[in-house]
Amino acid sequence: MTGSSLVPVPSPDRPTSGLSRRRFLALAGGAGAVGVLGAALGPRAWEALFAGGAPTSGTLASGTAASGTRRLVLVTLYGGNDGLNTVVPSGDPAYTAARGGLGIDPSTLLPLGDGYGLHPAMPGFKRLWDARRLAVVHGVGFADPNFSHCQSMDIWQSGVTGTPGGTGWLGRWLDRTNASPLRALGIGPSVPLALTGARVQAATLPAGTIVLPGDSGEQALFARLAGTSRHEAVLAAVAARANADLLTCTRDIGGILTRTARDDPLRLPPSTTDSAGSLAIAAGGGGRSAPGVLATQLSLVANLVLAGAPTEVYSVELGGFDTHSDQAPTQKALLGELDTAVTAFIEALDHHPAGRETVVVVYTEFGRRVTGNASGGSDHGWANVVFVAGAPVRGGWFGEPPSLTSLSDGNLILTTDFRSVYATVLDRVLGVDPRPFLGGRFPTLALL
Amino acid sequence: MDTDSAVAQLLRRAGFGSTAAELDSASAAGYAATVDRIIADLSAPDDGADAVPAPVLGSAVAYHRRLVRARRAGDTATATEVRRKVSAGRRALIGGWLARMVASTRPVHEKLTFLLHGHFPTALSKVRYPDLMARQIQLFRTQGAGSFADLSQAVAIDPAMLVWLDAASDVAADPNENFARELMERFTMGIGTYREADVRAAAYCFTGWRIDPVRGGFEFDPALHSSVSQQVLGTAVTTGQEVVALVTSTPASHRYVPAALWSHLAYPVTPSDRVVDALAAAYAPALSMTDLLRAVFEHPAFLSDRAATGLVKQPVEWMAGALRSLGVAPDQVTAHQDSLLETLAMMGQVPCDPPSVGGWGQNDYWLSTSASLARWRAAHALAAAVDLSRLADAPASSRTDVLASVLGVVSWSATTADVLRRAGGDPALLVTLALVSPDYVTN
Repeated sequence: MTGSSLVPVPSPDRPTSGLSRRRFLALAGGAGAVGVLGAALGPRAWEALFAGGAPTSGTLASGTAASGTRRLVLVTLYGGNDGLNTVVPSGDPAYTAARGGLGIDPSTLLPLGDGYGLHPAMPGFKRLWDARRLAVVHGVGFADPNFSHCQSMDIWQSGVTGTPGGTGWLGRWLDRTNASPLRALGIGPSVPLALTGARVQAATLPAGTIVLPGDSGEQALFARLAGTSRHEAVLAAVAARANADLLTCTRDIGGILTRTARDDPLRLPPSTTDSAGSLAIAAGGGGRSAPGVLATQLSLVANLVLAGAPTEVYSVELGGFDTHSDQAPTQKALLGELDTAVTAFIEALDHHPAGRETVVVVYTEFGRRVTGNASGGSDHGWANVVFVAGAPVRGGWFGEPPSLTSLSDGNLILTTDFRSVYATVLDRVLGVDPRPFLGGRFPTLALL
Repeated sequence: MDTDSAVAQLLRRAGFGSTAAELDSASAAGYAATVDRIIADLSAPDDGADAVPAPVLGSAVAYHRRLVRARRAGDTATATEVRRKVSAGRRALIGGWLARMVASTRPVHEKLTFLLHGHFPTALSKVRYPDLMARQIQLFRTQGAGSFADLSQAVAIDPAMLVWLDAASDVAADPNENFARELMERFTMGIGTYREADVRAAAYCFTGWRIDPVRGGFEFDPALHSSVSQQVLGTAVTTGQEVVALVTSTPASHRYVPAALWSHLAYPVTPSDRVVDALAAAYAPALSMTDLLRAVFEHPAFLSDRAATGLVKQPVEWMAGALRSLGVAPDQVTAHQDSLLETLAMMGQVPCDPPSVGGWGQNDYWLSTSASLARWRAAHALAAAVDLSRLADAPASSRTDVLASVLGVVSWSATTADVLRRAGGDPALLVTLALVSPDYVTN
């Protein structure tokens, strides 16, 4: 069928004001023509067109990042992971008492010592722990807890408490240090707030190769369109900048992506990595990422790190941790994905000098209530564990464990300001004075 | 702002971009008459969209029963078959909705439906079954222009929402707080207008709300309901319906809802922004979304420079608008829905599948390099696939102007005009560049 809206409506006569529309309608056959540009699609298959043409060869900017430069991989767990069932204080009788049926059976835990055990779905993290490459920071959060997903995540990503502004803690670092969008890279469709600066916004890429459409003539005109200087409106200038950043990415890392398109340094079974490009709706669970998405993202990051891409900060994510009901199977599946992907990533990088300087930080917007609800789930809480992993990391415990009995409204009370983690990363991974980016001095942790 | 620019902006914001003919006829009628017509459209059927065949979605209850039986019997073939059908139904639902947007003859309906979906973000990733999701979207379509309080009551007992925010698993002993929190924070009042204690108290009022396993509809189980009176926002309430009525009638909500709508039609504001004063005054008496929409379109600031440059097209708006303007037939949209949905996924916005309870972001959120790549590829593919002979038949020197009118753009910026001039009149190249130009991507 053809929608009746596609047939131009006869327009009443009115004084012409030199409107090109009117001229066009006359040229197009006037009112009553079938569709302004013809309603039918041509015979060319859209699927082939959308698949793009031949891969664009990009110039490899190898060696742009000085050897010995550390790299940060930020893993954001969206939804609020239940830290009490991730690093489980099974040695504390208060754990079993408070958690009841929601608690993890202590006999299944992977022992970490000191009365703690890891969730049984995390054997890889246990391996990292035993190799002293995993640091666990206790009781991380911010004062005046906020139980809103959006606002808590905004605070985490901006690095500002109270009313977060529009820039991220790493976005401000991008603003100060370098105007290259490739200095930080998000894998996914949109830029996380953490990587958004006032002037510089991190580049983002889908997992896969960059295939620019069109011939060199079209690409040259696109490049002109991407020129930012002459767009007066702010959003138009940002849109132009995103177009320009795309061309920068293609030039600087397009070649690496094309050459490594078939490589999976993580060497995971296909079932966990074959979801690249598939719709997120293939997944199950509230806002839950499709299975294998994190592994796909980290595989791309590993290729870039190993090929010497100039990027210093990478951001990847895994969603679906908002477990208000039926928490056990959901969290088990998600922690399993986290464990498999992150461990394979770190172990893959271990074999290469460039890879051994990479640090992974895993965080989420808040922990969950100590006592579960009657839906087999848990509600929004406060303080939580943060993982820092990788070859340069000094494994072990950091920060003071929160009490399981002295609570605030049923929630664990923070013992470590989240900006201490950021200060440590800025100082020890990115090699800058943290204060300008965090708006104050926060003690660093001895984990790097 | 001159009449042509004002009318063009109204048609973009109240719909999904116009065809040249729609823009011409609205310009002739004038701004005020076009607002009247759009408001009248809200109470008339959308014949164009209604002519799109309803997608085949199957039944959640039947699918679920078959899956449970198959699992018990260890029948993996049946389970796989059901999952395949559910997945096909999801695509049909989303593709069919996109086709409705393209086919619409009164596009304000589908636009409001889409904005309400973003306001009450609910996702197939958890709801799973497309017919449940379709029922919720249909609520926005049929009740969206009426009372926001009535709509909120309907959404609260909507099965997809019951699943999405776990209300369906709520019991009296230890209620989960998911729905109560999002109701206040996102749907009706906004952060900072209630206390934690209000969330916890309200959660008790929603206990006993279930999904009827036979009909798949809402069911209330008194045995699971906490009948203890709760203090929410200083008022004693017991039932979930009382909570919804209470939160939608607060002064905070009288500003929050208008601010949310304004933010997607003009430019982003917080509820305390002065522009909300007049909107709240129009909205508060009856909580009527129709009254609110009229107040938005008639507000002087709606035609300000700030509004003209205040929004980036959401990916769905960009795609539906481009398809409409280029004259793509709705049946072609459904025929190619998989490609279109892949593109939307790369741009970060698959309808019926927002990323979280927070829904989608705005403006800068859509301006990533990933989205830029996806947009360019889609624009290139569209330009190569549609019949551009009428553009090709125009003299090369006038094609840039012709293109502006086709896409509902009143004038190109200097940068874009220069680039289009350099395209040498190549119709497909002109269309591609225009669709990815900052002028078209921002509104």
